[in-house]
Amino acid sequence: MNSYDVTVIGAGAIGTSVAYHLVEKGFSVALLDHGDIAHGSSSHCDAVALICDKKPGLDTQMGAASIAHYVELSKIFSYDFEFDQKGCLYVCETESEYEVARKYAQTQAADGYDMNMIDAKQLQDMEPFLAKDLMGGIWTPGDAAMSPYKVCFAFTQEARKKGLKVFTYCTIQEIRLDEKNAVQAIVTDKGTIQTKKIVNCAGAWAPDIGKLVGIDIPIQPRKGMNLISEKTERISWHKILEFGYMLSKFEDIQFKRNVSPLVEEYNVAFNIEYTKADNILLGGYRGFRGFDIRSEWEAMKAIAERGLRFFPVLSGINCIRSYAGVRPFVKDHLPIVSEVEGIPGFYIAAGHEGDGICLSPITGKLMAQMIAGEPTDFDISKLRFSRFDEPSPACEVLV
Amino acid sequence: MAIEDTGYLSINELKCRQKLPGEARYEKGPVAVIECVQEIPCNPCEAACPKNAILIGEPITNLPVLDEDACIGCGICIAKCSGLAIFVVDKSGKDSTGKGKVSFPYEFYPLPQKGDKVKGVNRSGEIVCDAVVTSVINPKSYDHTPVITIEVPVEWADEVRNMKAAPSNEPESDDDMIVCRCEEVTLGEIRQAIREGARDVTGVKRRVRAGMGLCQGRTCEKMVQQILCQELGLSPDQVGKSSARPPVRPITFGRLAKGEVE
Repeated sequence: MNSYDVTVIGAGAIGTSVAYHLVEKGFSVALLDHGDIAHGSSSHCDAVALICDKKPGLDTQMGAASIAHYVELSKIFSYDFEFDQKGCLYVCETESEYEVARKYAQTQAADGYDMNMIDAKQLQDMEPFLAKDLMGGIWTPGDAAMSPYKVCFAFTQEARKKGLKVFTYCTIQEIRLDEKNAVQAIVTDKGTIQTKKIVNCAGAWAPDIGKLVGIDIPIQPRKGMNLISEKTERISWHKILEFGYMLSKFEDIQFKRNVSPLVEEYNVAFNIEYTKADNILLGGYRGFRGFDIRSEWEAMKAIAERGLRFFPVLSGINCIRSYAGVRPFVKDHLPIVSEVEGIPGFYIAAGHEGDGICLSPITGKLMAQMIAGEPTDFDISKLRFSRFDEPSPACEVLV
Repeated sequence: MAIEDTGYLSINELKCRQKLPGEARYEKGPVAVIECVQEIPCNPCEAACPKNAILIGEPITNLPVLDEDACIGCGICIAKCSGLAIFVVDKSGKDSTGKGKVSFPYEFYPLPQKGDKVKGVNRSGEIVCDAVVTSVINPKSYDHTPVITIEVPVEWADEVRNMKAAPSNEPESDDDMIVCRCEEVTLGEIRQAIREGARDVTGVKRRVRAGMGLCQGRTCEKMVQQILCQELGLSPDQVGKSSARPPVRPITFGRLAKGEVE
């Protein structure tokens, strides 16, 4: 199988982007996956790149940089990944929610992000099918949607033009380190790859790769589930989420919604997306179920219930499919984009939870800069792997 | 999986039965690899070898034993073995750019031509690597068993035992036939998805949406499986099926929210 400067493990949204950015820098790169391109989380998710669901600070900074990078890539790639900068609406049900949202939007606007509050009337003008009793919400015009697996195919196809070698359906058996504990080779069922550098982009499966070099990567699978409708008339024009979505994402925010016990139990937060295939993607639910991604009937009911609260028109539209996937969850909600101390040549780019698609371009860019020994676009020391060995800092609060 | 299940010797079984030449012999040049397991009255290979390197002896039901040092890798035995169980492997890289060569019997039409870019196929019939045809020998004395030699990456030389013509990019006459009616996906689009790397039903689904429509693949999934099997030479087990995702039948969000299921 030959020898490469860098071997990227995992052909999802992160791995394909890392591989693309590395070949752009002139490295010889192999991309390995035990299955097909985008067979894991990147084809079992929704597909948005938002800053309006990020915490102020680094989280938002990365999101914004990533979206800006997506805009560029969508222009230069010949593979269409259905990128659509349609903007995002974060809708508020109650006045108290609206207040919290306003403070949040203020903080973000003060940092220079295009995010502003709209009232109930503006909301109805933009989205006439939304429930009439909503307070208004946050409008972020720069936020975007796309096809998540097509992003992976696009990165792979463009990188192949520049010499990327792709080994799919290839199982890694061993990672060989030399006497100085530095990366030396990867043994697979298809042969051995000589490589001095490895980037572990295996998402929720990254801990399995970590074990091969004796490190413990604290990423857990967190299940997410969505419903899909039949092809239907257009009922929404922007990405729309409920502000309570924050609640389901960050448990450190103390905020109670007025929802049914079922919706509460399944941690369901409404979000809707009208896709390029003319169907509606309705979410979402998050929970910890290990790697079990079977659809849960009660969760489906809860998602439908919550969807009807915001879009009563859904009541007569058919649901044809549900699907679930795992998200690579890290306790502090920040990805790991880092080298690994003590194992020269071993890098990790994983743990993006529900933001893998959003942060894919910027993660690839930052990782390629790190491997090339260049300064990164911005300070990402917060994303270092060694943070888990240190005493935990005070919990960051959103607003 | 053992030969009882698969019908062929796996690489480990070949090693255990000492059917594979050692690396030292491989270095010297081409050599026959006899993967015969049939203890039947059959000995054309013994008679065919001009160097008397193959021994069956008495009784005639013995398995052939190769004298590796006497074998010159001429390949005459390949065409003479009625069980198509003999190959010649050259891992010495002496006459090319570090590539390995595999010669095997090929009783299919159309015959490839020297220089054709084809796919190397392993013992179970799966495509494993790219290959180039370096010779096609089909004299009368081979009695309709042509012997093909292909060049493969040397690490595949012990795995590759046959070839498959590379799928052509020429449009085929039935390319515009619709396979997935819900999403209007044609046979040509599915073939293209396979050329781009799809190896199973979900791989096709992700690339061209076949099976993602109203019927959820009830109509087309079997056909997609069949197309995959045909194009890739795989068995239905290997191409899998899509994951079962409720609801079984379309149900309105209104009824779903109320849990109204008949």
